[in-house]
Amino acid sequence: MIQSQLQKFIAYLQKQKYSVFGPFEEDGIIKIKQVINSKKFKLLGKLSFYSFKKFFLPQKEILFNFEKNHLIKNKEISKKQALFGMSIFDLKALILYNNIFEKDFFYQQRRKNTLVIGQSIMLSDEKVFKNWEEKYEEDVLEHLRFDIFLGITNHPTSQVCWPFFLEHNELKSQKIKYKIFTGTIIGQKILDEFGYKDYEHIQFTGPIKEEGVSLEMIKIKNAMKKKYKAEIWEELGKKCIECGKCSLVCPTCFCFDINDQMILGKNKGQREQCWTSCFYQEFSEIAGGYKFLNSAAKKIYNWYYHKFVRIPEEYNLSGCTECGRCIKVCPAGIDIRKVLESIKTL
Amino acid sequence: MINLYQPKTVIIKNIKIQTKENKLFTLQFKNKKDQQKFFFTAGQFVEIGIFGFGEAPFAICSSSLNESDFFQICVRKIGQLTEKIHSLKIGDEIQIRGPYGNGFPEIKNPINLLLIGGGIGLVPLRSIIQTIKQDNKNKIILFYGAKNYNELLFKDEYKQWQKFLDLRIILEKPNLKWKGRVGLITALFNEINILQAMSHKPQVFLCGPPIMYKFVIQKLKELKIPNKNIFLSLERRMHCGIGICQHCAIDSKYVCKDGPVFNYGKIKNSVFAF
Repeated sequence: MIQSQLQKFIAYLQKQKYSVFGPFEEDGIIKIKQVINSKKFKLLGKLSFYSFKKFFLPQKEILFNFEKNHLIKNKEISKKQALFGMSIFDLKALILYNNIFEKDFFYQQRRKNTLVIGQSIMLSDEKVFKNWEEKYEEDVLEHLRFDIFLGITNHPTSQVCWPFFLEHNELKSQKIKYKIFTGTIIGQKILDEFGYKDYEHIQFTGPIKEEGVSLEMIKIKNAMKKKYKAEIWEELGKKCIECGKCSLVCPTCFCFDINDQMILGKNKGQREQCWTSCFYQEFSEIAGGYKFLNSAAKKIYNWYYHKFVRIPEEYNLSGCTECGRCIKVCPAGIDIRKVLESIKTL
Repeated sequence: MINLYQPKTVIIKNIKIQTKENKLFTLQFKNKKDQQKFFFTAGQFVEIGIFGFGEAPFAICSSSLNESDFFQICVRKIGQLTEKIHSLKIGDEIQIRGPYGNGFPEIKNPINLLLIGGGIGLVPLRSIIQTIKQDNKNKIILFYGAKNYNELLFKDEYKQWQKFLDLRIILEKPNLKWKGRVGLITALFNEINILQAMSHKPQVFLCGPPIMYKFVIQKLKELKIPNKNIFLSLERRMHCGIGICQHCAIDSKYVCKDGPVFNYGKIKNSVFAF
């Protein structure tokens, strides 16, 4: 598929009543926005600043409405949305959401109405690419959930590690060619109906590779479990300013509050599920004011523990997609790659 | 698929003032079928909510086995939600979700049980007391520590309890109305030889503030009571109640789902537990 076909495909999806979202570059930042004019859309092969988290788990989810003592069900069913350009990091996070929110009515509704269209990210490390491309389908795609995936074929691509920090290739988008993969029958059906046949189907073989969970992950997990008092947490605690930016951009940070919101001057309102961060002051506060996570060191340990111990033990998946977004936003310069290296040497 | 966060309505059937800050609420589901389906074990909790004021977890303090047509919660007035609950009257409605959590383990027969409650930590233990049937073969000791005389909960029930358990109360601060013991809860260990009073090493159920656990467990260790016999109930901030929102996580466990009652041996090395 080439760029012009891709634009036609987007126009087709819009005709099918999908709201289409995708990455746009604005002031040097890759933002995810609604595609209004399909002719202006081009896939950039770059990682978006924010993840696609909010399209599955919105900042505010209305659980139900109420008026006086009466509960009024939230019957607003989420609209059809097509998400263009989810990177494999965002797709890894999606696997995790599917596990965590498997019984959540609102998540499942939204997931059902979402067409997931992934893209490979273009990076300049040609050497890595060559090894990687050969194994791409079986090593990466068969372990991810997507409807359609656009693999960029005519440029060196690599998504091996921490993509934010490898230089992007500048390229002319007209020349990009995509190899099309499908991951679901829905993806196939949509492409068939659109009139595109040259796709390859990838059978989902579960989220974990044949050789099992990575040894790296086990090593980090074991080190995390044993060594709380290691200086590293105290040191990180001194650096961290508890702003919570990392949890905002992290595709796998999904902690939430449940709060009531009243409509001013009226005896009605709604109960909402909304994003929070484990770095916020009241996160672990109980009646009377005591906080269990009462230092930056404890908070940051809890953040890492969640991703590298709790999630792996609960779901047998890593809680980190290795997208590197948290490094990009941390005002204190905390670099998860370096932290993980130190953890491994504990 | 159901909405996991949709509560059910209960009606306040009775309100009993316990202290200045504590009220005991007797609740019954508006829908009879909901009441019939509502079964819980001692130590489990419910999310109690008032529309516009949010939700919070509360331990149930009645017994599902002996009183199946209602349940009770004891609410301390400490924030916006609990203040609102305290303002309610008989016949008013409350929203609930649950029961959640695991509750205390099965009590072994013949019963050799040491219950230790600090402050409002007595509330979930009352559920056990309500469950135990009177039997002379049982050996049950209850240590209860409170700050002031005015903070003692369930005062009018002590006489009934003393028919089948050895109740020992201690207050941190002296009071003219109080002729009993004064001191910290750990002092109670000095006045009774627990191992002699019980035919074998007892099961111990604790509920109280984190600081109490530290010193009481030290005492239990001096008595060589094995970790496997010690169970404690933890308090945490909770939002979802079903192990998703992360507020109550300790290590790889959730207090709402894997607790609130934990075997001491399973959490003693946890960074986050105490």
